[in-house]
Amino acid sequence: MSVEKRSVTRFELLMDAGFGAQKAGDILLQAFVGMGKYVYVEPMIPAEISPPARTRPALSGVIIRLADFDVTNIGNDTDFILASHEMVLDTRLDDGEYNSSCRILLDMGDREANPDSYEMVLKRCTREGLSVIPFDVDQPSQALVKELGGKGQNLYYLGMLSYIYNMDEEIVKGEIQKTFGKKLKEDIFAKNMALFHNGYQLAKEKVFFTFQVESTPRQGEKILIDGNTALSMGIIDAGIKLFAGYPITPASSIMHTLAKMFPSYGGMVHQAEDEIAAIGTVIGSYYGGVPSVTCTSGPGLSLKQEFIGYAQVAEIPVILIDAQRSGPSTGMPTKTEQSDLPAVIFGSHGDYTKVVISVANVIDCFYAPHMARYLAEKLRLPVFIMSDFQTANSYKVITKPQVVEMDNVEDIPDFILDRFHMNRLPKDIEMVHTSQAVPGTEGGMRRVTGLNTDAKGQVNYFSGTNQRSHQVRNEKVHHVRRALVKPEMFGPDSGDLLVVGWGSARGAIEEAMSLCKKQGIKAAGMHLRVVYPLPLILKDIFARYKKIVTVEVAYGDALKPSPLAMLLRCETLFDVQSMIAEATGRPIRPKIIVNRVKETLSCQSR
Amino acid sequence: MSIQVEPTQPQQPVVLKDLNTENPRWCVGCGDFGIIMGLKRFIVERQLQPAATVNVSGIGCSGRAPNYFNTYGVHAIHGRPITVALGLALTRPDLNLFVHAGDGDALSIGGNHLMHGINKNFKCVFLLYDNELYALTKNQTSPTTRKDHVTNTQPQGSFLQPINPLTVALGLGASFVASTADWIPDHLTSTMKTAFDHPGFAFVHISQRCPHFDPANFDHKSSAWFSFLKHDKGIAPDRRIAPKTTVVEHDPSNLAAAFKIASEGHRYFGLFYQNTAKPRYDQILRDLVARAEQKPRSKILDHYLI
Repeated sequence: MSVEKRSVTRFELLMDAGFGAQKAGDILLQAFVGMGKYVYVEPMIPAEISPPARTRPALSGVIIRLADFDVTNIGNDTDFILASHEMVLDTRLDDGEYNSSCRILLDMGDREANPDSYEMVLKRCTREGLSVIPFDVDQPSQALVKELGGKGQNLYYLGMLSYIYNMDEEIVKGEIQKTFGKKLKEDIFAKNMALFHNGYQLAKEKVFFTFQVESTPRQGEKILIDGNTALSMGIIDAGIKLFAGYPITPASSIMHTLAKMFPSYGGMVHQAEDEIAAIGTVIGSYYGGVPSVTCTSGPGLSLKQEFIGYAQVAEIPVILIDAQRSGPSTGMPTKTEQSDLPAVIFGSHGDYTKVVISVANVIDCFYAPHMARYLAEKLRLPVFIMSDFQTANSYKVITKPQVVEMDNVEDIPDFILDRFHMNRLPKDIEMVHTSQAVPGTEGGMRRVTGLNTDAKGQVNYFSGTNQRSHQVRNEKVHHVRRALVKPEMFGPDSGDLLVVGWGSARGAIEEAMSLCKKQGIKAAGMHLRVVYPLPLILKDIFARYKKIVTVEVAYGDALKPSPLAMLLRCETLFDVQSMIAEATGRPIRPKIIVNRVKETLSCQSR
Repeated sequence: MSIQVEPTQPQQPVVLKDLNTENPRWCVGCGDFGIIMGLKRFIVERQLQPAATVNVSGIGCSGRAPNYFNTYGVHAIHGRPITVALGLALTRPDLNLFVHAGDGDALSIGGNHLMHGINKNFKCVFLLYDNELYALTKNQTSPTTRKDHVTNTQPQGSFLQPINPLTVALGLGASFVASTADWIPDHLTSTMKTAFDHPGFAFVHISQRCPHFDPANFDHKSSAWFSFLKHDKGIAPDRRIAPKTTVVEHDPSNLAAAFKIASEGHRYFGLFYQNTAKPRYDQILRDLVARAEQKPRSKILDHYLI
């Protein structure tokens, strides 16, 4: 029996979709958090609801990173896997995210029916140096699962995991009670509890190792929240009163959360007939003076582009959340990517002015709506909040952020502007249209149009007037350029290499840079929360490093820079290269950043 | 941004010239002049406050209409005025809302929104300017172009039977379907009035002349080719023109009869159908808020405490 003490460890529960792997993960997570441990959770979800069991597309699961310190990302490699059968294991091993000493508990229940497949996968594990500990669910538990119509296995696995991670059985039982106590009938609940207990006992008898992560009692109120829920709460706190959206993965859960809660905070949720209608309704509401927001993902973003361009010309504020998923086209709806950047920066036709902010974690998600509303209403331009599948769905425990209860955007607190590395905008900003009166205002009657107009709002096709409209719109964006201060940096102020990322890449960059520091590597990291426009100071910062590279979950190669690299190149004229530009659908890993940093530096010194 | 609107001051009565902006940039003889004049006459007759009135439109000749009303206005993008109007209907029920769309705008590029606008039955007057072709883009076939009519895109003569906007609206469950014409001013204004008083999405089909591209359509000098609908609960036939044509009795609560006359191929002006009991989506969403227990934002994150 070995107790392995770890500062940080990562494990996975892999099952077929529809059998409750994420639910088991949630319960475990609550128990961990209750014990004062830090966790970061990434669910793995197929794009389909219930793909056929025991097929590769059915893989569903949860990755949990457990630490005695605050973790900012899902980490590097998995130390331990519990798999419900060989097919889910084989599928997940293809991602190559396991440690060389990774141990695997494999349920052998399906072996009799699939002996060849099991043999093949077991051979693969041996070949890759992975130690597999086979086990069978005990007979009484199998009978219970049968009685529950094939469900309940997740509770059995939860029992096993609870033992392996040195959890107090009673604490976990308490969490199960919280989750299912009110939802399940008494007898069904009892059977689930029995399965949990049996799993715990099985692990006690059969598994000869446990992992121990120290707990550090924490001060202050803590919340457990995922990115999309934090965005939803931020929308409410920012004083937005209408949400209009169309169902799309991975943005939909924002609409689900608000549909339940918004009316109690004076807000309406409108499920539109399509993506275009959703933004049209936001524009109508904002023209009427009522703050509103829409959210979408890649395909919906493409559909909304004409209205986004219209809003900037009509000078109607628009807030659009883009929860990015893997593209192009329908792509991989439940995988993460950061490749919508060109579409938001260059998307709509003609000269196109906008502001793009991004979120790196759940706290950013909570404050992004305040920031977006401030920018959208001050500038009367479209403002994007860029999230992605990973940030939208990952859970984290955080100290409860300060609630702002914003009504007037001028009251936005400094700490939110600071978070996005921006100074306050000037009080008065010139608009194309002198009057911005809201309907209902006596004597302020005015028309807005997508046609070019003069300052009075009258349609006008004369050269000078059109040039003025462009200048005024672009000057609004220049105000943001000038207000942006030094972005968040990790590591030395100057050196051999600067690694730049945006959005969800922050956690991995931060952790990688602390690893670099420990290893004496002279590299620094930079994270951009506002991605467009870029701060004017950027060129000065770049000049202090020998080489500038980006890390992105987006495609790029030697002949085609990845989106952020392309943007930085054209805005700074520095020879920015894509160091990691992979559209694998998997989050960036700190370890890979460190390895690439070493490679890049050794190439440079050669 | 604030939506606090100044309290309404005692007003001078609204007169027609208060509603004018620039001279409309439409061709001489365009039916759109008649339509906006009809709406302006109604605004004056009803004394709607220009500051509390919003015209929303799409793209095309009809799309320009809001620019020619000294009210608030949104000249939006092609096919989507209904979506913008809904945003206003949801959040600003205090405003008088008129939506202007052409046949291409409403039935082609914006067909999806028409379907859902009708189904949502939110409060607005929806004016369908139907000149039976695309005019601003210079004479192309539209969803309502009559078969064999020559256009720039179908020079062999338009290929298909046109869509019938009235049966489409009735089939979608419209709570209000009326029809009128740009050259019958009194009837047009009466129609606006009945439509404005309707508690929901008032679908008003307007036959509109395009003398530039299709002068042969809609012979406004004769009246024998159309009829008026008449009923106590309907829109009164035009006093000036009715004696020169036929008047047909039709009960606007009779949906089956409405379908029948709308499908005949003969043109009728009047109220086809009205149902004031159909629920309104804008009202439903506002009621949800009104009925919900209001909670303080200060505790918004407490739901997630551990």
